[in-house]
Amino acid sequence: MHELGLTRNVVSIVQEHAKDRMVKRVQLAIGPLACVEQQALSFCFDIVAEGTVLEGADLEFVEADGDTFLIKEYELREAA
Amino acid sequence: MCGLCGCSDPKNAVTMTDPDTGVQTLIRHGSIHVHDHDHSHTHDHDHHHHDHDHTHDHHGHGHHHHDQDHTHDHDHDHEHDHDHHHDHAHTHHHNPSDEVVSLQQSVLAKNDQIAERNRGWFEGRGVLALNLVSSPGAGKTTLLERTIRDLSEKIEICVIEGDQMTANDADRIRDAGARALQINTGAGCHLEADMVSDAVKQLNPSPGSILMIENVGNLVCPAMFDLGERMKVAVISTTEGEDKPLKYPHMFRAAEVVIINKIDLAPYTGFDEDACVQNIKSINPEAQLLKVSARTGEGMEDWYEMLSAGKMSH
Repeated sequence: MHELGLTRNVVSIVQEHAKDRMVKRVQLAIGPLACVEQQALSFCFDIVAEGTVLEGADLEFVEADGDTFLIKEYELREAA
Repeated sequence: MCGLCGCSDPKNAVTMTDPDTGVQTLIRHGSIHVHDHDHSHTHDHDHHHHDHDHTHDHHGHGHHHHDQDHTHDHDHDHEHDHDHHHDHAHTHHHNPSDEVVSLQQSVLAKNDQIAERNRGWFEGRGVLALNLVSSPGAGKTTLLERTIRDLSEKIEICVIEGDQMTANDADRIRDAGARALQINTGAGCHLEADMVSDAVKQLNPSPGSILMIENVGNLVCPAMFDLGERMKVAVISTTEGEDKPLKYPHMFRAAEVVIINKIDLAPYTGFDEDACVQNIKSINPEAQLLKVSARTGEGMEDWYEMLSAGKMSH
């Protein structure tokens, strides 16, 4: 349910860092106790990313411990 | 889309209402508008979704990066352009100019920061802040009403009420004799630290008082949002299944105190008290348990004793 707000956080944080450069891939680390549903995040991500530098970016997940919920890294597209 | 979370609801604004004055303050603007704004898109594929608002920042991340000189980086930007010698599952290794930026930033960092600030404020003032969580209808408000009526001569209690809509609960609290503020989260399913921060500024609880934060009735998301409280207190009632702790383990793990409410109704609902206690213990062996009836007053003394000075400090 709250994944929409979380996705907005993710997009907003990456956007802030990437500035006006297009992002190709975002990798999230999610622990089993994070209370976050990956499918729901993916579902919201495409919608929230639309019209931003994250539009069309892939969302990847890696496993982590406990209640970890981190943006591990993101990859920029080749500079235009 | 997103029928579940109500994100397509244009009323996704968060407001704060003072039940004494009826004054309503907007503390967060509606953030998602799925309506036709007739913006001219530069991309022309088939979108039905024109959400331009997410280019600004609704969660209060303070940087308006669009106005900045893009030649410098934030200093917390750990940009290294090493050649992928750590072996993540990169799908595109072929392009050497692709740049991987390690961020390692908690998605909830902003909330957690504000929560820590709230916590410092509470500690500095000696205010005991408790985050009350339960499913809707477990009796959080009734528990608070009784607590306020019984304790108001001894100790000041203020209440922040969280609900999606209506100021009914804040009205009930005020009628019970305590100061209260109602936060309406709109489509939101939980309170966040910035909402509590805004409410606390207005409520201004006295040193040595108790601040009860009654979260939105929901056993899921409130578990993951720190508000700066001393601890979470979960309320479960005998009209619910005794397996709730197993069904919603995150919440019962996050709570330090679990109150089993409506204990007077247990004989009529077939509630298996022992099984419930066992379930709570299996999820959270450290949890302190209380059995009360907020309606009849049964067991409330134990709760008051816990609230009294020092009992809840670590």
